[in-house]
Amino acid sequence: MFQKIILSLLFASVLMAQNCVQCHKKEVLGYKHNIHYTLSKAINMTREAWGVKDSNVTYQTLPQAKKDVKKPKDLVDDFLRRKCLKCHIDSKTDIKDSGIKRGLSCLACHEPHQTSGRCQRSKIAMDKCLSCHNKNYVGGDFQGLFPKDEEASYRAPLSKNGHFPQVKYGIDYHHLSQDVHFQKGMTCVSCHTSADMHEGKKISCTDCHKTLSVKNHRAYHKKLACVSCHATWNNSSYELSVFRDDMADYAKWKKLTLQEDEYLSNFLHRALNSKEKIKPVMPDWVSGGLKKGVWYSGYRYRRWEDFVLGNSDDGKIKILRPLYQYRISYRDANGTMILDDVSKTEGRKIEAWIPYTPHTIGKVAKSCERCHDNPLITDPYRGNNEILRLKVPMRLVGATPLTKEQIAKMQSKKYKMIRAKMLFEK
Amino acid sequence: MVKKTYILFIAVVLSLVFVVVSIFQNKPLPKSEITRPDQCISCHSGMSDIDHAHPKAVFGCAVCHGGNKFATDKIDAHKGIVLNPASLDHAPLFCGKCHSDIIKRVTGSMMNSQSGILNVLKYQWGESKDLNSTIGVQDIRGKINTDSMAESHFRKLCAACHVNQDPKIFQNQKIARGGGCVDCHKVTDTKGNHHATFSSVIPIQNCTKCHNRSNRIGLAYTGIFESEGYGTPYKHGKFTHKMKDGRFFYDLPSDIHHSKAGMSCIDCHSEIGVMGDGHKHFHMEEAEDVKCKDCHKPHFAPSDSLAQTLSDLNGHVPESKTIAYTLKKHAPLYHVQKLLDKAVMYRKKDGKRFDVTMMSDKPYHTLAIHKRLDCSACHAPVAPSCYGCHEVYFDKGKQFDWVAKKVTPGQWQELRSFLRFEEPSLGVGYNKKIMPFAPGCQVIGTVFKNKKVEHFHSLAMAGWDPHTTQKKSRTCVDCHFKPASLGLGRGNLDIKKGHIEFQPFYDSVKSGQPVSYPLDSFVSAKGKQFQSTSRKYARSFNKKELHKIIGAYKCIICHDTYSDPIYVDFNRSKKLFYSGKTSCFKK
Repeated sequence: MFQKIILSLLFASVLMAQNCVQCHKKEVLGYKHNIHYTLSKAINMTREAWGVKDSNVTYQTLPQAKKDVKKPKDLVDDFLRRKCLKCHIDSKTDIKDSGIKRGLSCLACHEPHQTSGRCQRSKIAMDKCLSCHNKNYVGGDFQGLFPKDEEASYRAPLSKNGHFPQVKYGIDYHHLSQDVHFQKGMTCVSCHTSADMHEGKKISCTDCHKTLSVKNHRAYHKKLACVSCHATWNNSSYELSVFRDDMADYAKWKKLTLQEDEYLSNFLHRALNSKEKIKPVMPDWVSGGLKKGVWYSGYRYRRWEDFVLGNSDDGKIKILRPLYQYRISYRDANGTMILDDVSKTEGRKIEAWIPYTPHTIGKVAKSCERCHDNPLITDPYRGNNEILRLKVPMRLVGATPLTKEQIAKMQSKKYKMIRAKMLFEK
Repeated sequence: MVKKTYILFIAVVLSLVFVVVSIFQNKPLPKSEITRPDQCISCHSGMSDIDHAHPKAVFGCAVCHGGNKFATDKIDAHKGIVLNPASLDHAPLFCGKCHSDIIKRVTGSMMNSQSGILNVLKYQWGESKDLNSTIGVQDIRGKINTDSMAESHFRKLCAACHVNQDPKIFQNQKIARGGGCVDCHKVTDTKGNHHATFSSVIPIQNCTKCHNRSNRIGLAYTGIFESEGYGTPYKHGKFTHKMKDGRFFYDLPSDIHHSKAGMSCIDCHSEIGVMGDGHKHFHMEEAEDVKCKDCHKPHFAPSDSLAQTLSDLNGHVPESKTIAYTLKKHAPLYHVQKLLDKAVMYRKKDGKRFDVTMMSDKPYHTLAIHKRLDCSACHAPVAPSCYGCHEVYFDKGKQFDWVAKKVTPGQWQELRSFLRFEEPSLGVGYNKKIMPFAPGCQVIGTVFKNKKVEHFHSLAMAGWDPHTTQKKSRTCVDCHFKPASLGLGRGNLDIKKGHIEFQPFYDSVKSGQPVSYPLDSFVSAKGKQFQSTSRKYARSFNKKELHKIIGAYKCIICHDTYSDPIYVDFNRSKKLFYSGKTSCFKK
């Protein structure tokens, strides 16, 4: 254990190159350009959603949070540093209440060498991956996990001995159908190989599933990504209200201490049970240390059966999900609402719908109707779901909406004829 | 002088005897008796009237409140006075002087006894096999049955809502309810010299004091849906969309009767349906009177005396010679009238006139294929559905008992699994018609008793009109191929080689639920009903029905309008198709 701690400390990113790289040159150097390491996609997507123009920064070059806040874009770096970037292999693990149970840097995923110097050739356990790839992100869904709603009364069912269910990564879960690959005993690294993880080599379903039956992969479905049909359910979390509060005002969160953030849960429990006044502070996961203000968040609602399709920039038709539809509030220490439920900036909504690959592959593909008769897809600007507010053109990132021609094709006579024949098949 | 006093004394005694006899006979007093001025006004001179039907100048105070109206000092005058004569405990003596028939009906109604709730609860929790019982609040008062978990649950949660509840016992006065007649009829509170005002024009808020739980009809009607409890969006650093009782909600389109015509509950729910018809009923739908067709395909008849009285009381709706009557109990809908061969509805709260849309004779209403559908099956696109209601009981805890009106041992806490409002399940309702179903209720119980943990569960679905009516109906696919609508639950439904295949999403066993089927499955794809109901005829679709409904989709995919000739005689069309005599799939 002691050995492990020393090693963990030694392997801070700066030293990563100097230590591991001596033997694992290809992996370490490759990894430094990997999206896993720069997090550039998530960071820039969020910054642009919040109004930063042409954002092009990485985890390593992310500016410090601005002190003078007037618009959402002034607050986004603070939000990223304190709500999102806990999930990086270099993020500080030694913060009280962090709930992080992994090492730093290479050791975030890999077990250290034994004291004898021998390497441990064990496969990377899924728990390691899930320490970041959890909740409503891809990873948990592979195991069938869907985060429950956050309010205290949603903690049902109780266990046999009358306890509340176990909280992991700041929330407990509904169990939905598991990915078939997981059911067969596969883990993350069964598909996500070393080359994929370190050097960014693209992997795809067809790497393994080389022969596809003709019947079920007709010509007109060529443009579809495999998961668009084969994913059973997906995670759609609509509208995320985020609120940075610099005031010590905790009582109203009594039933909402679980906000999918271990630090926040622990902090709120302390603040709500303490007789002394506890200052609102939250870690900056990138620079370390606690900083003024606490970020609270809450969805509008979430669904596992809803989904929307779009043309992904890689040429495939993929499932889209809202990540996220933000409504932003910020109250300073004097109680002034600097931002009050701001959902638009630069003349557009603060949102990002992105193409996504749910890891919820089922034994059978979706029925045709789940796309062809899905009003969210076929009628996206007039969707029948008023809460979705799809009437406003969605702000897609990395994708474009289905065209009118595509939608017309989905409901064409040709489709109906083919589908009807399938239904009457014996 | 002595003689005069003597005569006056006799006169007073005689009239008192007369009053007492009249009260005991429960007959309305002759006008001369009511109009007798009382001394109360000498102190309470500034007190305002309660409404235009009971002017203080005519009635005085003592007719309603009792006390000694001839006394001149406070103590004597207030002897036997009743603050709330409209409480059903006092009403027979006071309101009942004139309204004895109504008091009797209300006292025997289910809004007073809550027998429907109590008995369904006992039935579902396995404590009774009798769905038809009239045991209610009045019968369990005074004798706490500590063995009955259902009764304990009823006392501590449900029983807060009955018409004769004591409004004073509510800690949060914003959600106080009860008080007998005033529960519904009071529209403003007493404040200083302003006497509480009464009205027969009952605002929605009075109904939704109670009708906001479980099936949430009152909320859904006004477009309020109980939400998943995030309280978002935040505004001014606070939660928005919070109800008076602390629950969160979001907005959905309200019922078209509310959004388009601003109708209140009383515009449909008539006097007899709400206050009772004098008969004992076991369930809501038996007491209920009005049906969609009563207005949308009205039955007109000459106005009767009750209609005229109601219209007078209302004060906004003009009198008419020809009005609509409900088909079931023949109660007058005095505000639905025939005007130049058109049906019009005068809104009760202000008399605003609206044309009533007549139920059309288009194929979708007349075709035999849909003759089993209740209006709500198509016209209610959303229904609040609360899955996996977890009830936790602690014997060590204490909680207010709404029947005994005191804190007693034992405490209940409610948890839930997930909510949905879209694609309500369909099934066969209490009236043998197809209507929306939602959990009602899926109880998963954990009982902490004698230092042990015990579990029980009772999952049921219930059919009702969700009061989310829209003009546009659900689509063909919505009912014929969406698994949630069919009662199968959320998942993937397909027909492969003639077999109906369904893979659900929700995994109850792994989620720790005590049942093997998904919480949102009313029935399996093979037609096995998983969850019970609380009505004799209510059930999920059976195997044959599922096959028929899903099977029809095979045709619907191309023949997607009601006016398509194949639906005139669908069975014949199917026969022709299977014998190859149709042009389907032929070029």
